[in-house]
Amino acid sequence: MQNDTTEVLMPLMGEGITEATLVKWLKQPGEQVRQEEPLLEVSTDKVDTEIPAPASGVLTEVFVRDGDTVAVNKVIAVIRSGAATGSTARSTPKPEAAAVPTKAAAPAAQAAAVPKVATAAVAPSAAAPLVTSGEKPRSSPLVRKMARAESIDLTQVPGTGLHGRITKRDVEAALASPVPATARAGVSSPAVSGLVTKRDGDRETLEGVPVRRERMSKMRTLIAEHMVRSVRTSPHVTTIFEIDMHQVTQVRAKAQAAFKAREGFGLTYTPFFVHAAVQAIKRFPIVNVSVDGDDILWKDQINIGVAVAIEQGLIVPVIRDAGTLNVFGIARRINDLATRARSKKLLPDEVQGGTFSITNPGMFGSLVSSPIINQPQVAILSIGAIIKRPVVINDLIGVRPLVQIGLTFDHRVVDGEGGARYLAYLKEVLENFDDSGL
Amino acid sequence: MANAAQYDVIIIGSGPGGEVAAIRAAQLGLKTALIEKEAHLGGTCLNWGCIPTKALLESAKTYKKLQHATDLGFNVGTVTYDWERVMQRKQGIVDAQRKGLRFLMKKNKIDVHEGHGRLAGKGQVSVTTADGKVTKLTTRFALVATGSRIRTLPFAPTNGRTVINSDEILSFDRVPKSLCVIGGGVVGTEFASLYGRFGSQVTIIEMAPQILPSEDADSVKELVRQLKKQNITVETGTKLTAVEDKGDHALITTEGQKPRAFEVVLVSIGRAPVTEDIGLETAGIKTDRGFINVDSHYKTSADWVYAIGDVIPTPALAHTASAEGMHAVEVIAGHKPPVIDYSANPNAIYTAPEIASIGRTEQALKEAKVEYKVAQFPFAPMARAKIDDATEGFVKIIYEPKYRELLGVHIIGAKATEMIAEFSLGKILETTVDEIAHTIHPHPTISETIMEAAHVAMGGAIHL
Repeated sequence: MQNDTTEVLMPLMGEGITEATLVKWLKQPGEQVRQEEPLLEVSTDKVDTEIPAPASGVLTEVFVRDGDTVAVNKVIAVIRSGAATGSTARSTPKPEAAAVPTKAAAPAAQAAAVPKVATAAVAPSAAAPLVTSGEKPRSSPLVRKMARAESIDLTQVPGTGLHGRITKRDVEAALASPVPATARAGVSSPAVSGLVTKRDGDRETLEGVPVRRERMSKMRTLIAEHMVRSVRTSPHVTTIFEIDMHQVTQVRAKAQAAFKAREGFGLTYTPFFVHAAVQAIKRFPIVNVSVDGDDILWKDQINIGVAVAIEQGLIVPVIRDAGTLNVFGIARRINDLATRARSKKLLPDEVQGGTFSITNPGMFGSLVSSPIINQPQVAILSIGAIIKRPVVINDLIGVRPLVQIGLTFDHRVVDGEGGARYLAYLKEVLENFDDSGL
Repeated sequence: MANAAQYDVIIIGSGPGGEVAAIRAAQLGLKTALIEKEAHLGGTCLNWGCIPTKALLESAKTYKKLQHATDLGFNVGTVTYDWERVMQRKQGIVDAQRKGLRFLMKKNKIDVHEGHGRLAGKGQVSVTTADGKVTKLTTRFALVATGSRIRTLPFAPTNGRTVINSDEILSFDRVPKSLCVIGGGVVGTEFASLYGRFGSQVTIIEMAPQILPSEDADSVKELVRQLKKQNITVETGTKLTAVEDKGDHALITTEGQKPRAFEVVLVSIGRAPVTEDIGLETAGIKTDRGFINVDSHYKTSADWVYAIGDVIPTPALAHTASAEGMHAVEVIAGHKPPVIDYSANPNAIYTAPEIASIGRTEQALKEAKVEYKVAQFPFAPMARAKIDDATEGFVKIIYEPKYRELLGVHIIGAKATEMIAEFSLGKILETTVDEIAHTIHPHPTISETIMEAAHVAMGGAIHL
């Protein structure tokens, strides 16, 4: 009978992710499940997703309740194939099953939920080396106990012991550090903490102004932490070019009707910008690297992250190998990713491994913006609104759709000249765009 | 590169600090020289310290064991000893180790210069041989490992007959009928335990409130109880006022008491760093109460000079000097070894029973107002302790209550000095009491008391 039992483990959702929050069970104990059928919904730092059942059978036991946060690889449920049913959920969470059913199905569960991940997802702190594998950092029993008690993410703590082992002293240093956000998981806010507020009756006030205190969502705290870290890590420089979109506008207008009829969605400008950005990266690959201490990591792929605003904040799905796609291919990929981002169906892998990012606040009317680099990348392209303006062409005034495009880059590896040359080439690509680019 | 130095590192002093540093330096590819002013390599440890004393203590242990051999089923008559042969065995072991050291120097291609080494300005070290010849050597780095010498008592000069020091006692020709040990430190207590077991009436006179002042009071209390069974009287809080040579005996006077006669008085009031006349001033290095101050990588105020062992204010122990020596030359060779954690540095006292410890004592923690808990387990219930006729002793673990981090471990009893190594490793790896309780210890061994003490901390010992 033992062979008929499958433990459901909290799957590894991506490198550097050590825990996930169970949003809800999609099946209740006693229910039949089929292999690959969605079993539960989980939420991590990066993404919300559904986890399929690793085996067919009856969900006999669940050890975790909705809302619980569970470490990766913990047993969260048991599925029993065959006839025996009738077991019910335990009232208390039980992270480690007492019985010893086979774990044979566990790797399958992981494989189903986790596509292969090639590069690190977790942006490193300024001091720590890039996380290049999913291994747990070397630490000690004492350090692990302290980390649990103090909610410290050990992957963010630089180790000073033998072979980089994290020691008690390192944890104490992390706890004492003025920006605890880099080390503390979830608990602390990277925003200025320790504001002195007062109680005025039942209202809390800040400098005499009544305030309402609201806990940031997990995603918000992570965004905040990432932004603070990025600004601390990379010296940001922004350079801006004005680009004539006449050619792109013409090409797009010509292709639009047929494209929409064929694909079922409109052809936006974004794929053209992604395409041009990729062409420019091919010529100036220095904007497509990461910095690891004194080393530059050159990347074999061009994976473009496109920022998408979603209800809870911001997510940056990644167009993998964008260098191999034409404009239409990019358009299809963006539509798919953005749709699934908004309906929370992205896979963890699809928000990882970006090598360059594009943000498009022009959609909302912004003319020029200075974004923050998405670590561990070194550059981000920001697109302004396309606006028709009078321009002087060959000493005549004409009307042209113009856009301000900015490149914000990490001055550790890219200098002003490099940034300008990148944009100059991007401008050349866009201003001379013809049908052959589609 | 035209005027390259002769050596990458010159080490002054071949004790357990210098000798180990030299070998490690050579292994790391450094061109290495070792300077020694004594006739033999090995320093205090090999020639007048750890090794000869432990050799003698082994004879004392065997003597005691033979006296109780009937308990183990032997018919033995009166057991007698031949002091000359006891000393010969000790000397044989020392000689063999000296030879071994010479071999290791040769094997590692370390140039050994015999003579008095002195720093002689940046990048230079001079060697003065016994006949007064001075050689100048050039080097990129120097490592001062000149160790320590016996501290003397101004009003009790030694004479080699009735008033002697711990160097002289190692070649003393007999076991005196009565021995007064002045100073209840490690050296004095070990000699007391040695001669007591060979039949001397021993009195230890210690000024502090307890002998072995840096050890945990519980261990020392148990030791004093055991020493009494070895013809040893311990007088603590006692101030010595006079020592007088009377030809065939010595008279000692302590405050408020009449003079007492002893056949031999051993003066063992500690050791002082050897930092004079080694050219520190030529490198601009100052001393602080005789000690050289260094950073956490053993670098002195002069960039090219490092110092380790008894000349720096860290525990004056052979194994500590060795660790420091290796660390220093690794830094010189461009490596980045982790800073030495002295809280994992073991103390080992080879009395009967032995005392061994790491970390802090209960009295020190109390004084520092550090929150702690104690888990203790005695040897007595353990089968192995009965088999070994070694039921006296205990393991005392002092730990921090929140995470159960080890703060101090104090073991007294047979094999304590071997067993403490488990805690040194544990401490380095930042093990908590939990992991020790979950470590399977071999049965039947005395080391099971370690696991049992950890179980006490976890809520209850098994075999009590």
